[in-house]
Amino acid sequence: MILEAKNLTKFYGLRKAVDGLHLEIPQGSVYGFLGPNGSGKSTTIRMMTALISPDEGEVVIKGKSVNQFGNEALNGVGALIERADFHKHLSGRTNLEMLARMDGTNFDRIDYVLERTGLSQRGDDKVKTYSQGMKQRLGIAQALLSNPELLILDEPTNGLDPSGMKEVRDLIGELSAEGITIFVSSHLLDEVQKICTHAAIIHLGRLITSGEMDTLLKDSELFVTEIRVSDAAKTTELLSSLDWVFHCESSNGSVKVNMDKARISYAVKLLVESGVEVSAVIPRTSLEEVFLSKIGSGSPI
Amino acid sequence: MFGLIRNEMLVISGRWRSYIGFIGISVLMPLILWGFVYGSENIHQEYARELGESFMVVGSIINAFLATYIIMNALWIHIPFLVALAAGDAVAADGSNGIFRITLTRPVSRLKILTSKLIATYIYTALLLLFCALWSVGIGSLVLGTGDLIVIDKGILILSREEALVRMALSFAVAILVMFSVATLCFMFSAMVNNGIGPIIGAMLIIIIGYLVKAIPLDFFDRIEPFMIVSYFDVWLDAFRDPIPWSDIWNKLTILTLFSVSFYGIAVYVFLKKDITS
Ligand SMILES: Nc1ncnc2c1ncn2[C@@H]1O[C@H](COP(=O)(O)OP(=O)(O)O)[C@@H](O)[C@H]1O
Ligand SMILES: [Mg+2]
Repeated sequence: MILEAKNLTKFYGLRKAVDGLHLEIPQGSVYGFLGPNGSGKSTTIRMMTALISPDEGEVVIKGKSVNQFGNEALNGVGALIERADFHKHLSGRTNLEMLARMDGTNFDRIDYVLERTGLSQRGDDKVKTYSQGMKQRLGIAQALLSNPELLILDEPTNGLDPSGMKEVRDLIGELSAEGITIFVSSHLLDEVQKICTHAAIIHLGRLITSGEMDTLLKDSELFVTEIRVSDAAKTTELLSSLDWVFHCESSNGSVKVNMDKARISYAVKLLVESGVEVSAVIPRTSLEEVFLSKIGSGSPI
Repeated sequence: MFGLIRNEMLVISGRWRSYIGFIGISVLMPLILWGFVYGSENIHQEYARELGESFMVVGSIINAFLATYIIMNALWIHIPFLVALAAGDAVAADGSNGIFRITLTRPVSRLKILTSKLIATYIYTALLLLFCALWSVGIGSLVLGTGDLIVIDKGILILSREEALVRMALSFAVAILVMFSVATLCFMFSAMVNNGIGPIIGAMLIIIIGYLVKAIPLDFFDRIEPFMIVSYFDVWLDAFRDPIPWSDIWNKLTILTLFSVSFYGIAVYVFLKKDITS
């Protein structure tokens, strides 16, 4: 495990923001940290990056306890926490130079990370002229600066438009392929499902479930795609026979499927070729929705 | 560490608030000197009365040194304010701007980061006072010329031009150390909060209350005076006594240093434990 959280607990006053959290992040994984807004994702990530100290439990990164070693434990870790903020009156490049100077990172890396995040053209402009998306990319650039083995990203797609979100997802995929372990938080189920090999879900500071994405897809009701079709019975029959569809049930005119998101278009093609008309494919996107509907219907999560 | 300090200087030089001190002094000095040129008759008469006929003064009485000496006396509340203006932001600004989220998540200890901020604040403070000295003596020399410095404090002391220059340098050096203690006081508050205004108000309150306590002749106030930082501020005046009271200067500076070390200690304690939630 490259990062372990053990019994992590944090109070804000009397409110427990994070409650006895256990997490194990395997080397090389893309680990999704899912939870609705206010569930304690940022608080957990701040404890991982030595910004705040836990009231109980500890975080261990590459065998070093963050409680004990503080910032020194963050060698080889790059992080972007919540919104990306910089010195606005300085250029993106100057901001990166300042950060590189802090831990003696070679300035050659600056061009590389600007290039990687698509900011080469605008690196010399002042940060105050950047759009939200560019600031966010500069945020990722600074996290990549010291050539990290572990990248911790807190809702990196927040405030981005759909194409910006896709760019970030693609970048995460590329970085993962290069061997960087990535821990990424999100409140969007759909997003995590698309890019992660592992995931943990928290709600009200408590861990709901965690593990490999495939296992979660099989077991969890949370990762459901709804398909509206002309013939629900036939659809259920067709899809159930596929080995990458984990669960499938029909309910008045629509079919709810637990499946690998990457194969949705293939599934639709298959249905259409078999004479089933598909009128909509609706992935569960927001955890808020899921939790609200659960709480609304009174069933335990 | 050098890189960290360089970063901090870059940030300080990018804040408009850092220039208020320099602009203020640039504008104020010519104004005051202009006042000396046109209002020098009164000062002349006063000095002539004190000195009588018995002294031979080389150069003009109203010269750059006397003007600087009087200005230093007059600005003794303003300069701390200008120092506090910069020191208030030293730590707090990074908190409120969200910069700590990208700096304190790097493998560099918080102690180093805090210390580099303090050193940068000291560099700023020293530059501000140096500017004050050069500007005052500099344009003072152009407008009023130089000459002997006549100090009327406890008795009359006439210092030759060369001696006056040495004493000026000594007093500014001492004043810089005094202002370091003001800077550290404000810095301590800055390490505790996330806005730059609170620390300025906090530090100025302590200084103003200190001056009040000093000014009001109550028995109780006299007893707490030794525990107040402002009681030692006038050490720069000792540079104009004859002979120079080195041991007094040494003692006062030692006490001011102890104040600074304590303020820094508290800042370290608070900052190392601080939860960064902004
Ligand atoms: N600085 C703070 N002071 C008090 N409560 C806070 C603070 N930051 C977060 N919280 C509370 O802690 C809980 C978890 O917040 P957070 O970790 O930011 O959630 P998430 O990142 O999942 O949206 C929320 O109820 C939030 O209101
Ligand atoms: Mg958050």
